[in-house]
Amino acid sequence: MKLAPDQKLDLREVLKDLDQYRPQRRGWAWREPRTAHALGPFVYQDASADLEHSVPLPAAREFGDIDPQCDLVITTEIASGRFEDDLRRMRMAAWHGADHIMVIRTTGQSHFDGLIEGTPEGVGGIPVTRKQIRATRKALDAIEAEVGRPINFHSYVSGLAGPEMAVLFAEEGVNGAHQDPQYNVLYRDINMHRSFVDAAEAKRILADAGILQLDGAHNANATAKEAWKVTPELFVQHAINTGYSRAAGMPPELIALSTVPPTAPPAPKLRLDLPYALALRELFDGYRFRAQQNTRYMESDTEEATVTHVLDTLISRLTPTHIQSTITPDEGRNIPWHYNNVAGVNAARQTLMGVDGLMQMIELKTDGPLRAQARELKERAVLFLEEILANGGYYAAVEAGQFVDQGYFPERKGDGIMRDPQGGDGAGSVIPREPGYGAPVCSHFGNNRYAERPGKPCADYGGCTLCDATKIQYIDELDAEDNVEQRLVQPLAERAEGLLRPEVEKHGDGVVCVTLFVPASQSVARAAALEMARHMGLNEPQVINQRLMHPAEGSVFEIKGRLDIAIRTDALAVPEPPAVLPDAEIEAWVRGRDIHLVAATVGEDEHSVGLHEILDIKHGGIERYGFHCHDLGTSVPVERLLEVAEQTGARAILISTIVTHADVHKQHMRRLHALAQERGLRRRLVLIAGGTQITDKLARECGMDAGFGRGTTGRDVASFLVRRLRDAPA
Amino acid sequence: MRCVERPDDFETRRAHLRNLSDEDLHARFWRLVDEIVAPLIEEARSHTTPSIERSVLLRMGFSSLEARELVAQMQARGLLGRGAGHLVLALAMSQGMTVREAGRALLEGRDWEELPR
Repeated sequence: MKLAPDQKLDLREVLKDLDQYRPQRRGWAWREPRTAHALGPFVYQDASADLEHSVPLPAAREFGDIDPQCDLVITTEIASGRFEDDLRRMRMAAWHGADHIMVIRTTGQSHFDGLIEGTPEGVGGIPVTRKQIRATRKALDAIEAEVGRPINFHSYVSGLAGPEMAVLFAEEGVNGAHQDPQYNVLYRDINMHRSFVDAAEAKRILADAGILQLDGAHNANATAKEAWKVTPELFVQHAINTGYSRAAGMPPELIALSTVPPTAPPAPKLRLDLPYALALRELFDGYRFRAQQNTRYMESDTEEATVTHVLDTLISRLTPTHIQSTITPDEGRNIPWHYNNVAGVNAARQTLMGVDGLMQMIELKTDGPLRAQARELKERAVLFLEEILANGGYYAAVEAGQFVDQGYFPERKGDGIMRDPQGGDGAGSVIPREPGYGAPVCSHFGNNRYAERPGKPCADYGGCTLCDATKIQYIDELDAEDNVEQRLVQPLAERAEGLLRPEVEKHGDGVVCVTLFVPASQSVARAAALEMARHMGLNEPQVINQRLMHPAEGSVFEIKGRLDIAIRTDALAVPEPPAVLPDAEIEAWVRGRDIHLVAATVGEDEHSVGLHEILDIKHGGIERYGFHCHDLGTSVPVERLLEVAEQTGARAILISTIVTHADVHKQHMRRLHALAQERGLRRRLVLIAGGTQITDKLARECGMDAGFGRGTTGRDVASFLVRRLRDAPA
Repeated sequence: MRCVERPDDFETRRAHLRNLSDEDLHARFWRLVDEIVAPLIEEARSHTTPSIERSVLLRMGFSSLEARELVAQMQARGLLGRGAGHLVLALAMSQGMTVREAGRALLEGRDWEELPR
């Protein structure tokens, strides 16, 4: 399957012949680092190989549309409930720099004792099944070919079916997985003996498949009221999973610690989070670090969340980090919307490119509060470990409520999570291996008669599925109603008919978000805002964020609602983008004709950048084709432009108008047209206006010959001028 | 049962750690971790679970539905401690069948008496 940038992902093609599909690549992939990497006007120090296709950061338009890539893998978490919609979201995220796609599982899958098959719809995530994994891997294989960088696909090996999940992931080319038995024990109340025995088998399978393992320690941050006080315990949780993984045969380069800077402003974030980050890196030297952005203190304000995430990402650059995991800025208010996955990825890459090369210029102090606090955290963690042993070991310590207590260890609040070692889901299901126990397969952990002899354990029957993938048993669907084919009927029919609806999560969900400020006290303003949204035609409007501007002067609201209409694309008047002429054709016509142009930013307006972009030879502007440009500067009266045009015999006037207060931009355009007519110059002159709020339609309505808005290049303007002048009567 | 409450007595508790170098503190940290992990990993080495046994059958070329049923029946008969995959392979070899044929026979209720003792 091959993707074309101007074509939508073909879901029918993804689902075709899935029973035969094999992953193109296995194991985790890091980015290819580049130092002293020259790109556009800059040289990057902490970069990686460029992409073949991407959407650059917005300001890149000023720097020749470069799209430098940082050296960290960037994660985005995806959880709509329908994998077929997630695939489109993955493609969008990959174009913005994500190369680690973490697929959240549906609520309750942890407690499912076995694998799920087919493509049933999930809640807050997808049921992770062989078909969904295979379809996703197939789409990602095509997406990674499109963007030109490996994309790591990731999900969860926790719950009651860990070893089976691990086999499934190894067989189907999944690249990363969460595996941490403590997560089962503390947060899912799955029996602890079952969790740890299963985990050793799962870890061995992951290790042999080259799958990167993430642990689950970060969940303690999200659970604790004062997240920075659980930091000593976080070292312990990381260490138990790390030590257990090593004992199960996992090499350090496949063990990644999932760590979150625990606080958010107005907490003094770096003063608390940096010593913790540093101490962690020192204690776990040689392992990988997956830094996740903070979720604990996020609510509905996406801008607040983004600022916290930028600071989190700064910490990732101040301390060694391998993966920057992003959190969508809307996670605190809804199941993330697809464009917010992109927003989260962009916050990370914008920050990381902005702090490129930082550690070549600064270093962390080796004395003072940073070191003192890092040391104290480590000592508190050692005391925590000593108490586990004093309590009688891990199981007894959990039983005694030693974990996820809100106290700053050794302080105890007495509110830790307590679990019965003989209780929980799956209790009593751990069985002693009898003498002569055997498992004739590869990647098996522990006592095994087939591992005691030379050769592969699966040699007696010609190899297991890990050696011979043709033996994998593929199940398509088990439920005739709840499956992707049924879900696609309406969306694909609508697409074929050319119907379009807005969406945030699932195909055609119709959800939109409007922002409005209402100048009244908060409770009145809230009711008014909802009423206004209803008048806009939004069904079931809900306030998803409100921020007080002033108790009496008003509040700003973000309201989501559903727009229950579909637009017919064939009935739309879509303006054809004007075709640009080849550079050589423009230049051949312009040079030798001695064509003069007059240009300026008009009115009381000091903006000059836009006009320079269009005119200057060094920005690729129209001067390079041989036009003689008379740039009169900024805040120039319209009359002055006409005077100079008359003196120089100019054929065109270009005005830039950025300020739009009280429609002053329209007034400038109309006045230029009227004055040119009055002076008998209008027939000779081509009048062009440009600016961020200008459209061609608006400019023509105001008497101009053409208008150019955001994103215009010198070539666009030159093409228009050449066409117009070439066709003009002599 | 409610767990203990305790004030932050770090300054007194840390007495034995205060004078350790960072290196020695790190070594102590990892020694304690190994001590905590040792009995856990030993249990894993010498025990199995229905999920582990199903994962073995998956690797031997059975579907998740077949693996679930085979393991459930072996568990009901108290056979899982011998290893589901071992039992299926031993049956296949003693009866001259493929592994999948042996598994299907068991799923159809045949040959359970032929499993090795």
